[in-house]
Amino acid sequence: MRSSRGTALTAAALCVAVALICFVSARSFLAMRLPDPVAPAQGFERYNLSHWFPALKGSPGDSDVYIQDSGVPGGTVFIMGGTHPNEPSGYMAAVVYLERAKVTKGRLIVMPFANATAMGHNSPQEASPQYFSLDVDGGTRWFRYGSRATNPVYQWPAPDIYIHAQSGQKLDGGSKSNLNRAYPGVPDDSLTQQVAYGIIQLLNKEKVDLAFDLHEASPEYPVVNAIVAHNRAMELAAMVSMELEMAGIPMRLEPSPVNFRGLSHREWGDHSDALAILMETGNPSQGRLRGKTDAALAVTGKDKAYLKAAALGRLFIPYEGDQTLDLRTARHVTSMKMFMDMLGDVKEGGDVEVEGIPSFDDMMERGIGAFLSPVEDDRFDGK
Amino acid sequence: MEWFWPEGFYTLLMIGVFAFAAFVWDMPIAVAMAMAAITGAIAAGEGVPLRHQVEGEFGYVDTILIIATAMVFMKVIQRTGLLESIAAWVIRKFRGYPVLLSLGIMFIIMVPGMITGSSTAAVLTTGALVAPVMMELGVPMLQTAAAISMGALFGMIAPPISIPAMIIGAGVDIPYVGFGMPLLICTVPLAVICSLWLIYPYVRKPRDEASLEAQLAKMSRVPMSLRLFLTVIVLVVLLGGERTLPLYWPSLGMPLSFLLASASGLLSGVRWNPIETVTEAIDEALPVMGILMGVGMFIQIMTLTGVRGFVVVSALALPSWTLYLGIAISMPLFGAVSSFGSASVLGVPFLMALLGQNEIVVASALSLVASLGDLMPPTALAGIFAAQVVGEKNYFKVLRHCMLPALLTVCWGIAVILMAKPIAKLIF
Repeated sequence: MRSSRGTALTAAALCVAVALICFVSARSFLAMRLPDPVAPAQGFERYNLSHWFPALKGSPGDSDVYIQDSGVPGGTVFIMGGTHPNEPSGYMAAVVYLERAKVTKGRLIVMPFANATAMGHNSPQEASPQYFSLDVDGGTRWFRYGSRATNPVYQWPAPDIYIHAQSGQKLDGGSKSNLNRAYPGVPDDSLTQQVAYGIIQLLNKEKVDLAFDLHEASPEYPVVNAIVAHNRAMELAAMVSMELEMAGIPMRLEPSPVNFRGLSHREWGDHSDALAILMETGNPSQGRLRGKTDAALAVTGKDKAYLKAAALGRLFIPYEGDQTLDLRTARHVTSMKMFMDMLGDVKEGGDVEVEGIPSFDDMMERGIGAFLSPVEDDRFDGK
Repeated sequence: MEWFWPEGFYTLLMIGVFAFAAFVWDMPIAVAMAMAAITGAIAAGEGVPLRHQVEGEFGYVDTILIIATAMVFMKVIQRTGLLESIAAWVIRKFRGYPVLLSLGIMFIIMVPGMITGSSTAAVLTTGALVAPVMMELGVPMLQTAAAISMGALFGMIAPPISIPAMIIGAGVDIPYVGFGMPLLICTVPLAVICSLWLIYPYVRKPRDEASLEAQLAKMSRVPMSLRLFLTVIVLVVLLGGERTLPLYWPSLGMPLSFLLASASGLLSGVRWNPIETVTEAIDEALPVMGILMGVGMFIQIMTLTGVRGFVVVSALALPSWTLYLGIAISMPLFGAVSSFGSASVLGVPFLMALLGQNEIVVASALSLVASLGDLMPPTALAGIFAAQVVGEKNYFKVLRHCMLPALLTVCWGIAVILMAKPIAKLIF
């Protein structure tokens, strides 16, 4: 190994170069912290997670929560996207509900970007796009493509080993920044654990009957295009899974493992009365086998490396060259609608009726952008 | 050809530019990596993507801090005379029991890796402590570095903490439970063989007692006292506290723990110059820290341009009879980026390709093979620091002595995968 020594002049020149690089790249990183504007449908009221857990007030984890109450007695459904902001169909499905839903019975709570700080950065060495765009009526909507983990600016350093507080389960230290390993949360621990705690408070205080945590998974991951259900939610989930199968939208049913702790489908069910459901669609842009990584991959899912991996029999989804964001989002949206339609069958008085949600075929035909409203977005100066 | 173009071309281009810059232009490795990354990005039509270059570097920010502070710690225990005093004590106590001494030295090297999950921590703490002991006992410099490197790798994989095993397990939602015995099966036989191979043949040789005693007297000029041990005690308390009382102990992180332990050296009773010591430590660690930044940039551009996917899917595309060969070759090679990276990027897909065996045993064995990445240049975290600890400038000389133990490690890792089912029957 050779060490290079220079002069005071080279040192000064390097310092100037470093300062310039810092300035230019920092602008790009900081811009990602600006939230994605949304256009909630009429009837939604905006809250923050701190409404249920005041310690989060003013913190970067104080995510937006929207509630629409029909005024007609019924159940309460909670939809959460953005646990992992590198899994865009999760939060896009939540946004579709937020911008389209008209609740006619019961209540609907939508938290589109659960881990707010994870939306504002990318994971190093993943080369993820910072944003992707969708054509909407009269313009373009931009959404951030974030990271699986809480922004380390707010939670650092990671411990060497993450020990789940309630079970003692050990995971790699990085998992402490993973919201879906943090439940039921700890009120006085790191930001991720506090956000998890706040969500459990919300589920309990709002007496949520049915709760969704929307995810995506790599196509090579065994639990993909799947519904993972807590044991109390298995009956409902089995009914929905069969219904989806008949509709030609297969979503495999997986029971929530009892020995894998900290995940929403396990802890929400154990620590609240909600029927806890986690859903996964197949997202090539987050997989380990993916080729060129860019915004187009996030939106189209077109990837020749995955095509080859499919031919090798390495994938757990049918992959014929693409896996569009429209398809992935439509899977979530349609599955949730079926869950809501059947909720009353398994939970007396738990009916929730929602209108205005596009059908699977509509979303496939017109794209999900057709069901999003135009918004003013200062981040891109009208671009 | 359709599969090869253009990602295969980018792969060759990036490797070519790196090799040319490093070996023909004699650029520092870090700069050569950066040049290769920039060339790859330009060739792929991405221009000079500053954001990606900076972001990639941040993948190693924690490792860089650990390296810098661990190096400061190592220099402090050298300056206070603790290293030499311990070495002299161990030699006096155990030189009559060469087998025990060889196994004990290997175990001591492994301990920090077992606790922290980091091979670098093992090399720079107990590796640095035992290096003078081993050399004084007659183990040649290169064999000493090789033994420290291998011990550090086995320590990193051995239970209770194996981060590569955790990473691979987490990739398929296997909690880190039940890994203890499989990881012991993976590491203990190798540790025993390596200690008897690299250390024992030298320490069993009879020595000129008078000259050895004179040397020992010189080494133990600083008397052993509790104050002298303060740095090590502070480090053990800080790192051990987090492991044993994780719910109550504040998570300081390894860098701060190393720094606090180093600072306690000011109370050791031996005078040393902090500024000079820290400058020397950072100066020595700088090239490796630079390499890590170059590698971070390189891997981000690999991912951006599709080279990473090309490499991973090409490895998975190997015919089934060569899958094991693929594991044996690609995981240590990819570990040149980092062994943790290899565990994540290749370990998880390979585990998925081997579903149906016992996943815990297979993940343990894959983590063992991935650990060899810490010997692989240009990063070679375990190897380069082991060379530095013994005072060898050319790491490749050390690598030569690691080749056979590494080959044995790969063979054992593959054997464990092949025997995963019977092993699981035996232990679960």
